Amino acid sequence: MSNLLDTNEGAHYLYMGNDAIVRGALEGGVSVAAGYPGTPSSEIIEQLARISDRRSLYVEWATNEKIATEIAAAASFAGLRSICTMKQNGVHVASDFLLHLTGTGVRGGMVVVVCEDPGALSSQNEADARYFAKMLEVPLLEPGDFQEAKDMMKWALELSEELKTFVIFRSVTRMSHASGNVVIGELPENEPRAYFQYKGPLLDFLTGPMVTGPGVVAYARTVQQGRLKRAVSLFEQSRFNIYAGPERPELLIITSSACYLYSKEAIHTLNLGDRVGLLKLGTTWPLPEGLVRKHLAAAQKVLVVEEPQDFMEENIKILAADAAGEVGVKTFYGKKSGHVPTSGELNPDIIMNTLKGILGIQYEPVPQEYATKAFQSMFKSPGRELTFCPGCPHRASFLSLHNALALDNRDGFVCGDVGCYGIGVLPAGFSTVKTNFSMGSGLGLATGFGKLTKFGMNQPVVAVCGDSTFFHAVMPALVDAVHHQSDVTLVVLDNSGTAMTGFQPHPGLAVDAMGETAPSIDIEAVCRAIGADVASSDPFDVERTEKTLLGMLKKKGAKVVILRQICALSPEKRGKKKYQMSVREDVCIGENCGCNRMCTRILRCPGIYWDTARKVSRIDEVICAGCGVCASVCPSGAIQKAEVA
Amino acid sequence: MDMNTLQKDPYNIIITGVGGQGNVTASRMLAGMLVGRGYSVTIGETFGASQRGGSVMSHMRISSHGAWSPQIPKGKVDLVVSLEPSETIKVLSGYGNPETQSLSNDRPIYPVRVIAGDDKYPSMDEIRATIENLTARSFMISATEEALKLGNPIYQNVIMIGAVGGMDLLPVSIDDFREVIGRGMPEDKAAVNVKAYEIGEALVRN
Amino acid sequence: MDEKKHLGQKELNERVKHARLCTGCGACVNLCPYQRAYEDKVLAIFPCDLDVGRCYAFCPRTPVDLEALRGLLFDPQDLTPEVGAVKGFYVTRSRNTKERSRAQHGGTVTALMSLALKEGIIDTAVMADRGGTFLPEAVTENDSRKVAMHGKSSFVVSPNVAEFNRLAKGSSEKIGAVATPCQALAYAKMRMKPIPERDNNIDKLKLVVGLFCGWALSWERLMDLLAAKTELAAITGLDIPPSRYQAMHIYTTNGTIEVPIDEVNRCIRGACHYCFDMTAEFSDISVGSARLSEGWEEARGWNQVIVRTDLGLELVELARKKRRLEFREVPEGNLQRLKAASLNKKGMALKNLKLRTHSQDDLIYLNKEDPAFKNLIKGG
Repeated sequence: MSNLLDTNEGAHYLYMGNDAIVRGALEGGVSVAAGYPGTPSSEIIEQLARISDRRSLYVEWATNEKIATEIAAAASFAGLRSICTMKQNGVHVASDFLLHLTGTGVRGGMVVVVCEDPGALSSQNEADARYFAKMLEVPLLEPGDFQEAKDMMKWALELSEELKTFVIFRSVTRMSHASGNVVIGELPENEPRAYFQYKGPLLDFLTGPMVTGPGVVAYARTVQQGRLKRAVSLFEQSRFNIYAGPERPELLIITSSACYLYSKEAIHTLNLGDRVGLLKLGTTWPLPEGLVRKHLAAAQKVLVVEEPQDFMEENIKILAADAAGEVGVKTFYGKKSGHVPTSGELNPDIIMNTLKGILGIQYEPVPQEYATKAFQSMFKSPGRELTFCPGCPHRASFLSLHNALALDNRDGFVCGDVGCYGIGVLPAGFSTVKTNFSMGSGLGLATGFGKLTKFGMNQPVVAVCGDSTFFHAVMPALVDAVHHQSDVTLVVLDNSGTAMTGFQPHPGLAVDAMGETAPSIDIEAVCRAIGADVASSDPFDVERTEKTLLGMLKKKGAKVVILRQICALSPEKRGKKKYQMSVREDVCIGENCGCNRMCTRILRCPGIYWDTARKVSRIDEVICAGCGVCASVCPSGAIQKAEVA
Repeated sequence: MDMNTLQKDPYNIIITGVGGQGNVTASRMLAGMLVGRGYSVTIGETFGASQRGGSVMSHMRISSHGAWSPQIPKGKVDLVVSLEPSETIKVLSGYGNPETQSLSNDRPIYPVRVIAGDDKYPSMDEIRATIENLTARSFMISATEEALKLGNPIYQNVIMIGAVGGMDLLPVSIDDFREVIGRGMPEDKAAVNVKAYEIGEALVRN
Repeated sequence: MDEKKHLGQKELNERVKHARLCTGCGACVNLCPYQRAYEDKVLAIFPCDLDVGRCYAFCPRTPVDLEALRGLLFDPQDLTPEVGAVKGFYVTRSRNTKERSRAQHGGTVTALMSLALKEGIIDTAVMADRGGTFLPEAVTENDSRKVAMHGKSSFVVSPNVAEFNRLAKGSSEKIGAVATPCQALAYAKMRMKPIPERDNNIDKLKLVVGLFCGWALSWERLMDLLAAKTELAAITGLDIPPSRYQAMHIYTTNGTIEVPIDEVNRCIRGACHYCFDMTAEFSDISVGSARLSEGWEEARGWNQVIVRTDLGLELVELARKKRRLEFREVPEGNLQRLKAASLNKKGMALKNLKLRTHSQDDLIYLNKEDPAFKNLIKGG
């Protein structure tokens, strides 16, 4: 991936969308980048961190999105160009600061990169962060393909610096995690000096203090709205707003982002190039009003294709209403009319269906006979429920949690949090997790539950969080739990990294994003300092872990159990087995009374399977990660572990 | 094989498998070979279930003119490359058409529900028959077994890419692979990969 | 009753655990990974879908033919309908004063188990230890000199049979068990080998010393009661003098606290109200507190002993010969009084079972045709 720094301008590369964004940021002269990991945004900071030494960048995995935004803003205030990255819900975390940032604007170009996940392929929500652009009164850009992802990112930095406001750059999973050809541009010589000017007068945000406060808000908003007006005039000319199709189309599609590629594909597949026009907008807030008016005037029927919410559709309708005298009354199709689904991810097939409905055309992708047999075959392939990876410490942690809660026998439950351990809600996690919301809310909820003893609630409450989540948003909840003496047990599933998103470092580790040695923050010491009763255990020691948890469940007040074991996918563990596992077929009692397939029926690890013919369990050598947990749950001693030299 | 033109434009491939099998690496290798030949490649991937036992797919569009949708429309796949046998069926039933070809690795990865006894895994005969019923031409090779012979199951995706080359559907050759694998990999490691590619190629040619 | 003789975990939980008949004996524990004991409870931590399980077959609260068990274990001429087999009846105590002071009463059980270990009749003893905070634990002892360490009662059940189940899988060859009546019944059921191909190595069980038991207390409720009366740390022992039966004595470092029996009764484990066995009828030897005309202060230092089997007799005689036990004359009428008390418990159990089922015929786990109950049923 070193080609991100190549200087052979004009060369073609296959870039993942996030790589294209990285290259665009580099071409746009970025100096500082900060983010919090979240699919599908994580690769941007990862890649920038990897090349930080060769490009004199400062790159960090911030403790949370709000801090990432503040890191980027500080760089901007000191005259540097910066970006911060996050997934859609991260904007909600950062929004308090962003709201205030519009009160001063920025100096060096600053871009908030939001990678959204329509369809929630790797999320617990389908938030549409575009509304923040309108709410906060800042410009919004959305690339429509991989080349644009690069070009637009560069432009976003320039635009931000020119307008003196931060800009939201919005990507989606099918852009960030898709790949396509990109022609690279010039990489500027980049050695800026950072200096924060504050000696100018108050309210001079270019040279004076960067402050907002009572009395200046109305002024500051007027200034910001002026910036938006300038944005509209720039957007009218933008090369990221493209139209293709007949001069007076039967139907005008207005779209943005990955939906542009879906719409293009649908028009191509249905062969509608001479009937349907496609207006792809890259600048989606504020709208390039003149351009949109011009195209509205040319078509009677208008279809807006976007995901996940009807952000553009609403704004275009408002514009059309204002301009009704000029453009005439339109028939709108989209989410409001029911022609485009209002939830979930879109794709070319959905758009084709929409077009079939509006234009009354026939199209079947395959002959009926094939479609029938394809449908019948579908059920022959078994479904794949998510599970913890082979060797994952969470499987063992949740087994112990399950057992401790079952033995405690007071209908205890686990409040989950955001991370791989969300799988704790499924049989793979022994169905222990009973609530799951946003980052840190596991302990927040548990703290609330833990105060309900007054109302007769006697159920023990456990919250789980990962090590990265602990720093992100759990610490304030722990302060609350300790201070208010809530009866709650926090279990920190410390696997030494932000595992879910690809193993990014966090403040608990002795290394930072750029690979430099960094002071690590000791979770155990933090918990003790806050005043919690702390214990720790290795989750692979199932017996001890269960005992530790049981003991804590009995105690009053806020307790913390740290279960420490490195993620099976971590670079130091991956592909290295600690134990060579095997099953002694003569000892395995399998389906008989005394076992009834504990290892496969209950433990459900992908690395061990049930041989239906021979009626014994077997290790799948290719999949097994050699953690040894199955040996410790085998009631008959049939599963053997031999330490790998 | 005409090394300068595509059989179709765009030519659509879905590489499928189970999280952790190296789906993404396989699609990157193949795409790298094609980009080296001057083609535009668009790949759409789902990372969410990667490593967590779920089905994963890479949609690959190969074209002479620009980016395509990162999601292939239903019924439009030309070649299915499946790192796991039963996953081939899943992709064919959604994206296949009477002209579709397929290449599958014959090593099953049992879903947890099958491991737990809540669900059944079809017999290899049933899988084979179902695939044949949905394709114009199909191959089933022992990529994992061959990879184990090379000392590490991770080579199975290179073997699969070699087999794709061997199917003579795409304008790529082993030289394109050498070029891609040679970048940023020590010579001895690259050599094992080239060997794996050759094994894959031979498995479908014989 | 079901057509199938043995059922599995699902039925065990439906018909025993959820029906609140579980005595906490531990018979279903340590056979598999799914049934576990914690505190004084037995819990199913994961479901098992097998149709037939040892857990169900061994449970003392699932139906069984008691006559067949009696036939297997005892001489027919020794059987009495009130207290089971009686080969001999004694009042004894340990000759070792240290042993006595550590024991609940006369130290007879300690002396017998210690002797059995020393003489090689058994190589391992399974007994209850008071454990911390009045929660007894099942312990294993191989050293005859250390048996006395585990003497006192806290009136809470410990899952001793679970410990046997664990031991039986290991290298112990001759196991002796101290058992409550429900535990003794579980062992007897195992000895029937109800699932012949998985016999739980029951042949390793060589000796069962039963304990008289009126009921056990729920640990949670007992703890609440004790905590309400005194500092838990100050408590040195608990007893309910049998001659008076109206108070529990809490012995503390600051003297004795008397708790009215009504308060104690509220702590009784629900399952005990349905138990028919006061004297651990399915043991080799049963031991309980004595009743003497001299009164409680004298009686508390002695035990009543029912010897039920040849092995039991051999061991008691050996104890006499080896001067491990001291014998005194059995006061007249003692066995009759014991029988009356035992009969009373049977009657209460049957009454409570009938109240549960609203039927004269359905006694849940007992058979109304059993000779021990037949007359009681008729009596109403």
